[in-house]
Amino acid sequence: MSNIIEVSHFTKSYGDFTAVNDISFEVEEGTIFAFLGPNGAGKSTTINTLCTIFEKSSGELKIAGYDVSTQKAEVRSSIGVVFQEATLDAKMTIEENLKMHCVFYHVPKHEVEERIHFVLNLVDLLAERRKLVGALSGGMKRRVEIARGLIHYPTVLFLDEPTTGLDPHTRAHIWEYIVKLQKERNITIFLTTHYMEEAEICDKIAIIDGGKIVAHDTPYVLKKKYTKDRAYITTKQPEALEQLLQQYNLNYERKDGYTRVEAEDISHLLQVLSLHKDAITDIEIRKGTFNDVFLEITGRKIREEE
Amino acid sequence: MNTIFALWIRGLKAFARNKISLIFSLIFPFFFVYVFGAIFRNDAIENPIAYMLSGVIITTVFESSLNLASSTVDDMVSGFMKEVLVSPARRITVAIGQILSAATVATVQGILILILGMFIGIKFTKWTTPVLVLVSMICVGLVFSGVGLFLATMVRSGQTFQIVKTAITMPLTFISGAYIPLSLLPDSLRTVAYFNPMTYATAFFRMIVLEKTHLLPEELVREGLAIEINGFIVTPVMSFIIICLIGLFFLILATRSFVKTDFSKLNRSSTDASALWG
Repeated sequence: MSNIIEVSHFTKSYGDFTAVNDISFEVEEGTIFAFLGPNGAGKSTTINTLCTIFEKSSGELKIAGYDVSTQKAEVRSSIGVVFQEATLDAKMTIEENLKMHCVFYHVPKHEVEERIHFVLNLVDLLAERRKLVGALSGGMKRRVEIARGLIHYPTVLFLDEPTTGLDPHTRAHIWEYIVKLQKERNITIFLTTHYMEEAEICDKIAIIDGGKIVAHDTPYVLKKKYTKDRAYITTKQPEALEQLLQQYNLNYERKDGYTRVEAEDISHLLQVLSLHKDAITDIEIRKGTFNDVFLEITGRKIREEE
Repeated sequence: MNTIFALWIRGLKAFARNKISLIFSLIFPFFFVYVFGAIFRNDAIENPIAYMLSGVIITTVFESSLNLASSTVDDMVSGFMKEVLVSPARRITVAIGQILSAATVATVQGILILILGMFIGIKFTKWTTPVLVLVSMICVGLVFSGVGLFLATMVRSGQTFQIVKTAITMPLTFISGAYIPLSLLPDSLRTVAYFNPMTYATAFFRMIVLEKTHLLPEELVREGLAIEINGFIVTPVMSFIIICLIGLFFLILATRSFVKTDFSKLNRSSTDASALWG
């Protein structure tokens, strides 16, 4: 597979402030790529530069072989963008917004109606098509933006925090068809998010912090590398369990009412626990999450307030 | 071409949908005609209502087209401009579409006031008059849409923009002879008026509406339809050429500026730097 996005030594500064500091990465065609990081890490700056909105300070950025600084028109035709903030025309209806977009992107006239129907159906807004955008709820607006980003069938779709502020049901729905789209149309999807669980759906993840890429791999490898599975055990004989765990050199922590055991090797742990199985009343094994990955790499949680 | 048309339609739709602003834009001119007509009664003017109305109409066209500045800034703040600028649509077509749409809306507003004016004093006896009126409204509309778009690209903050806009429009309208005849202005202000493009637009437009195209320059000056600067008479035709030149200058400037502007630097809300720096 070939790389559809190629970024090398990209730096973007605003005066003294360096938002993105010498990053390099590639995205393979037809994959879902996620940029993960806290607010202010440089995610949006990178997206905006890739989308030809910002000018880079230095480095080279290419989409589908086109340089984002010197071949803007070609890049713009190949991409769809859903920005973090609203970019809809509030004074117009959903349908008018989509039609306007089709004009900008030179969608053949006879296909416009069919495509409007297709994308609005995807985001469940067919019934609202004649409503003014200004009168819609936040979640609906987001769905309109996503529909609009897709209507010209881009090669690469950029989604800057696509599901922020949406209810779980809508989020799940949007993800469902992001994945479907990627499979059906072989669209490459480049997204930023700070929802850790969303990152797991992606093929590749780059974790960015303070303008630097601190990790870049598949979700599986990242989790393998940076997280540990943990077993939460409730037992009738906590002392006996403690002894057993010490005997087998396992890391554990006794908490109020349960014991937490780190489980790098689940099968080994289960073997050990089988010696104690009569006393166990409850056992829960938790897989490592991306929150752990982030915590492990950067030393802090992705959203400090959580 | 399609982009131009789509943006043009968009402007017209937005205008037609905003009923309240439409109604007020029709009421205000007549309010001005009434007030200023009553204050500045002048025996030298034979048809004061038509005289005032013609000034008010062209001022409305001027203000309405200059409004492109506000609506473009609105589009930047609401984010719509970002959607436009990240699309493959060429920026020059976006600029042209915006200018044409603002000029059209301005002309339509001018026509609406003119039609209402027909009931209270404006009369056309020649078939050429409506054509000339229309042409000059379109010209003034284009000129100041260009100025408006240029202003919009100069803006760095949405909040201060309204103040700047008012600070520019107020003197341009009041020191143009549209509401207050130039002869009643103190000398210093009259000198300022000579540098005001609206002065020439008003004089030219008024001559057409009042159907005085046949008058000699000296007679036009006496009726306040031509401007005399230290003995030199700027005839309405010269006024028209001046306007067109200024317009051409700003249209080119605005289009260039719009194409070149780095909208990423726009501070969409001064308190929210993170939106800019992400």
